Amino acid sequence: MSEPLISLEDVEVHFEASQGLFEFGAPDVVRAVDGISLDIEERDVVALVGESGCGKTTLGKTAIGLQRPTAGSVRYRGQDVWDAKDDVGDVEIPHEEIRRSLQIIHQDPGSALNPNRRIRKILEAPLKKWQPQLSAGDRRREVYGMLERVGMAPADDYASRYPHQLSGGEKQRVALVRSLLMDPDLILADEAISALDVSLRVEMMDLMLDLQEQFDTSFVFVSHDLSNARYLAAHSGGKIGVMYLGQLVEVGPAEEIIRNPKHPYTKVLKWATPDLRVDKESEGPPVRKVDIPDPENPPAGCRFHTRCPEAREACTRENPSKITISPGHEVACFLEVDDHEYWESPELVDNDDDRSTGDTTAAEFSAD
Amino acid sequence: MSSQTPTTHGDELYLTDDPIIEMRDAEVVFEMDRGVSRVLDNVNLDVERGEILGIVGESGSGKSMLASAMLDAVVDPGVLSGSVTYRPEGRDPVDVLELDKRELKRLRWEDISMVFQGAMSSFNPTMGVREHFVETLEAHDADVDVGLSRARELLADLYLEPDRVLGSYPHELSGGMQQRALIALSLVLEPDVLVMDEPTAALDLLMQRSILNLLEKLRDKYDLTMVFITHDLPLVAELADRLAVMYAFELVEIGPTAEILESAAHPYTRALLNATPNIEADLSEMRAIEGSAPDPVDVPAGCSYHPRCPIATDNCIDVDPEYRSVSGDHGVACHHYEEAADAVPFAGERINEASADGGATIGKGGD
Repeated sequence: MSEPLISLEDVEVHFEASQGLFEFGAPDVVRAVDGISLDIEERDVVALVGESGCGKTTLGKTAIGLQRPTAGSVRYRGQDVWDAKDDVGDVEIPHEEIRRSLQIIHQDPGSALNPNRRIRKILEAPLKKWQPQLSAGDRRREVYGMLERVGMAPADDYASRYPHQLSGGEKQRVALVRSLLMDPDLILADEAISALDVSLRVEMMDLMLDLQEQFDTSFVFVSHDLSNARYLAAHSGGKIGVMYLGQLVEVGPAEEIIRNPKHPYTKVLKWATPDLRVDKESEGPPVRKVDIPDPENPPAGCRFHTRCPEAREACTRENPSKITISPGHEVACFLEVDDHEYWESPELVDNDDDRSTGDTTAAEFSAD
Repeated sequence: MSSQTPTTHGDELYLTDDPIIEMRDAEVVFEMDRGVSRVLDNVNLDVERGEILGIVGESGSGKSMLASAMLDAVVDPGVLSGSVTYRPEGRDPVDVLELDKRELKRLRWEDISMVFQGAMSSFNPTMGVREHFVETLEAHDADVDVGLSRARELLADLYLEPDRVLGSYPHELSGGMQQRALIALSLVLEPDVLVMDEPTAALDLLMQRSILNLLEKLRDKYDLTMVFITHDLPLVAELADRLAVMYAFELVEIGPTAEILESAAHPYTRALLNATPNIEADLSEMRAIEGSAPDPVDVPAGCSYHPRCPIATDNCIDVDPEYRSVSGDHGVACHHYEEAADAVPFAGERINEASADGGATIGKGGD
């Protein structure tokens, strides 16, 4: 196989939590991304799912070179992105080119577009910077052509509007057009459809899939919604990665993750996905606690053990490493290891049935 | 729930046996430079005592205006007309739109309470959570100690640590915890009805589903009636006993949840169900709804859905459809509802397969 478009290797992103004025000693560290390796191929779709605070956005930003990892490496077609930026060693692909090839669209399209500029201006700006040889007429043709491609016709009407004169779905399309005008290899779509009505999400994802076909673009799609992740990733033969507190706990082909989830946390996310079944009995969430632990102070051992319904004593001591279930499908859970001491160790029991007052400290209920 | 003998007479379709809230001909109008904007159009609706009613619609369909109208909370310069009757148990019915300011304030917390989207903007950031409870109790002349012990119980019901949450400032809690604390606050004066407008939007799916699960328990424990307003049909379908679907400022369909999911009769409801990203459905069968929702100043004549509807006829362009009975307590405002099932077929296996085996297996095929 040829070289992946983006290759993340043992990437860590640790943030120091801000300190009070008079606090001394070692600062608290949030391990937003903690030792993740992931390849993104050409024309690939990778959907990252997990709760807020799990590090999925940080990982996405690291993949497109917006966030500098505190350890590990990020390579673009073999070129280390941060070496290129710092001009270290033999730089084969200049940082400018890498920067242009890796784009982002944000969750809230309203705040990503300058409210004082017409759509035409907003969309011509990147062309002016990156393709200065284009004449004004060519630029206009390019912008109008793209607007029509995303279904915003008549283009000259839309181009002359201000962002507040567009609906939420239209704003998000403008943001998508703006990133596509850079002719990128990879677009990070960070919860890009979460702010849209449920009824508009399929439409927006269809558009992204169409454009992926036309422009050979890869997508990293960050979402808390497994059904959206599946829609986009499965349609394009991509994969889903499930994150929990900075770690990738399960990764695999989209349909495989949906139909055959292995990690208890993936099953929780699947439980949380409404499926319009008529006679579904409503049971509580398959977790022992509904709130995510404090990322500054993640549980030892397997990080999910404080909420996991399957957790046993062994899970509090050792963090499971990833094992391969089937080609491309990896999971980090002792349940998949037949001869692990997990099976001999006692089950974890919470002292109190009340999920609010579990076994340990208040730190587990902190804000994310 | 409704009258035993199904009738084709429209007026009786929104009736229930024991309504706690009755809305009749509710209409909200804004005068604008561009013309008159009718953001709630002739809505008739009963909320049954003890039920969870889900009100579903896209952004801009008027669903939040419906909630505001229910509590006479329409902001100026909006003008609300029609009637809203609140029927508490053991007391005389209350004509909500006739109340003065003080009476309305009491009604809004002690009888019908409301939770909005975005807990952070409902809390005062400079006040601790405990102070929010104390202030609310004092403002309504309630016993603070009794109220606080009720608050503790409510917080524990919502899987929160009462003392820790009461001792925090709002910003010290995560989004999901804030939203749950807000629900506890809205229930501290023991209202009969809880109206929630997108109470879980902007939260994780997992937290949304967990909160819905808790709401169901609260309903049973405290004998509440709930109105849950959202754009997220699949989410509320898990919770609601009945669903009411809004399109272009009108109610277009209402009925028991299972019946709407199995045999929605309005072409719009059916399209909405098909447009929903669904983890169980076959990928090829999800599709977007054609066209876009109308401008409130310029709602199409006749049936407002006709420009997007695959079975619209000349009649739909000319005549605004009345409510018709599909069966029992399932009503729809559509001239051609009998053809809707053929014209807008459901994403194939969703219903049959899911109900056949309880959902252990997932639709075959795929890609």
